Amino acid sequence: MTTPNFEGQRALILHRPHPVVDAIARQLVQLGVAFEAVWPDLPQGTAEGSFDLLFYDADMGHDGQFPWREGETPVPAVALIGSEAPGRLAWAIRRGADAHLLKPIGSGGVFSALVIARQAFDSRAERGRELADLRDRLADRQVLAEATACLMVQGNIPADLAFAKLRRDAMTERLTLEAMAQRVVERLRNGHVRNHSA
Amino acid sequence: MATAQDLVRLGLLFSTTGPYAALGREGLAGASAAVAEINETGAYGLRLAAEARDPGGWSELYASMAGDMVAASGARHIVGCTTSWSRKELIPVLEKTGTMLWYPCPYEGFECHEQVVYLGASPNQHVLPLLDYILPRFGSQAFLVGSNYIWGWETSRIARDIIEHSGGAVLGERYVPLGDADVGRLIEEIRAKRPAFVLNTLVGPSSYAFLAAYHALGQADAAFDQAVRPVISCNFAESEAAALGVVAAGQYVIAPYFQSLDTPENARFLAVAARHAPQMPQVSAFFAQAYAAVHMLALGIAEAGSDRPEAVRAAVTRMSYVAPFGPISIDAATNHAILVPRIGRADAGGRFEVVADAGEAMVPDPYLAHSSLAVGPVPRAGDRAAHLRVIK
Repeated sequence: MTTPNFEGQRALILHRPHPVVDAIARQLVQLGVAFEAVWPDLPQGTAEGSFDLLFYDADMGHDGQFPWREGETPVPAVALIGSEAPGRLAWAIRRGADAHLLKPIGSGGVFSALVIARQAFDSRAERGRELADLRDRLADRQVLAEATACLMVQGNIPADLAFAKLRRDAMTERLTLEAMAQRVVERLRNGHVRNHSA
Repeated sequence: MATAQDLVRLGLLFSTTGPYAALGREGLAGASAAVAEINETGAYGLRLAAEARDPGGWSELYASMAGDMVAASGARHIVGCTTSWSRKELIPVLEKTGTMLWYPCPYEGFECHEQVVYLGASPNQHVLPLLDYILPRFGSQAFLVGSNYIWGWETSRIARDIIEHSGGAVLGERYVPLGDADVGRLIEEIRAKRPAFVLNTLVGPSSYAFLAAYHALGQADAAFDQAVRPVISCNFAESEAAALGVVAAGQYVIAPYFQSLDTPENARFLAVAARHAPQMPQVSAFFAQAYAAVHMLALGIAEAGSDRPEAVRAAVTRMSYVAPFGPISIDAATNHAILVPRIGRADAGGRFEVVADAGEAMVPDPYLAHSSLAVGPVPRAGDRAAHLRVIK
């Protein structure tokens, strides 16, 4: 496991002026992270890509501060928690806490929060991509199954021969297997198919 | 509130018994020698009254002993701790009582507590320049052996990171419980794997047993003589080397201080040590750093006109002090000492011959945020990773 390094990254600290901000800032300097403390709003026109890490106040923060939807926080985010009241915690979670720090903030904690937040964010992004990919492949499989069933019924042939025909037809028509299957299914639905065994 | 003319009370918290007693004794002797010298010479216009306690190597006892010392004497500064566990145990007491800890040992980094001043080396000042020296000379296939706690784990982890960034490989990595001396299997594994060098982060009796066994291996098989396949370390003291004699010969050690340093400040320091710590014929970085800690805190109190920890911290981060190992200062951003690392090679008599010297002080980088982890066959110009001037 390589040493985590945040040097050169940019952090936004969304918290009112307070010793909490000073404590975070002191630690960010040690880590080589550039930062800007802002309150009550993110800088005008905060574009994605203009910062890499976010610290946000769970006590006085509110939805109107964030231009992105829930679940779409674009960077690793660390919630700064004073009150442990469940409502505040739920809000912090909805706003995408990948890690948290409890106030008051002392001499340590920022490095570990960033390491954990980074890991959580990357792993969530990776899972999201994997899920989308699996959904696509599942949809493809359903179409393949339906097309194979079509060809079985049309030609009164077993599944393996039907699938082989599907593959040959795909090659002949210069289509991917999935696209050929889609075409077969569409023909069936549009009534272009006859049962040849009838 | 103490002023520069008053008696300043301080606590000395070192385990002079237990699994790392040798290092604890060095720390206590170094700090005590400084207290005696300062009181005798009146150097800073103040007098020190030190109370010492021995937690015997039990991390759980550090917090209660520190709490007692502070409550009983009103001391606002403690010089002490050897292992990181003991230092971590103290942190809540330091925060609660507003006490400053002066921590005089090398450690694994990744900490910058505002109530602690770190006088020992952190990883960019020890394992990084050490590997920068060793890899081009011996090769980059390493074996890592350490005591089974955070110093061993984390220093080895950083070493692995450096070695892999530098195109090398870790052939084996093993841990031994603190105080344990069962090293037979380790030696067999090293013999089988034939690493270019062994990084030793063992502490105390485990280390002595390991070195004895490694020496025996070198006698039996010349391929494991320390001249061919050395043991290297960031935590080895002259007193330990002297007790081991020829067994430790040929080992490389990195430290800011060696007793054999040929400088005017060291000559003066050795005279003080002989006078105020005659029971310690060998003194190491563990002694010198504790000695320097007491001087720096006294200097800070004199400068601040108060022993209030925040005032003292602010004062010492503005000043330079000529320690036995040369001028040092405390980096205000991290509370860590800006140090000149040196590499020594042990001879058969427990002395370290200095073979490389960084020449200039290295700024501490406790989170390794600014340090390149790649050490190359040839030091590159402008490469921040250690640039040791070779003496031999």
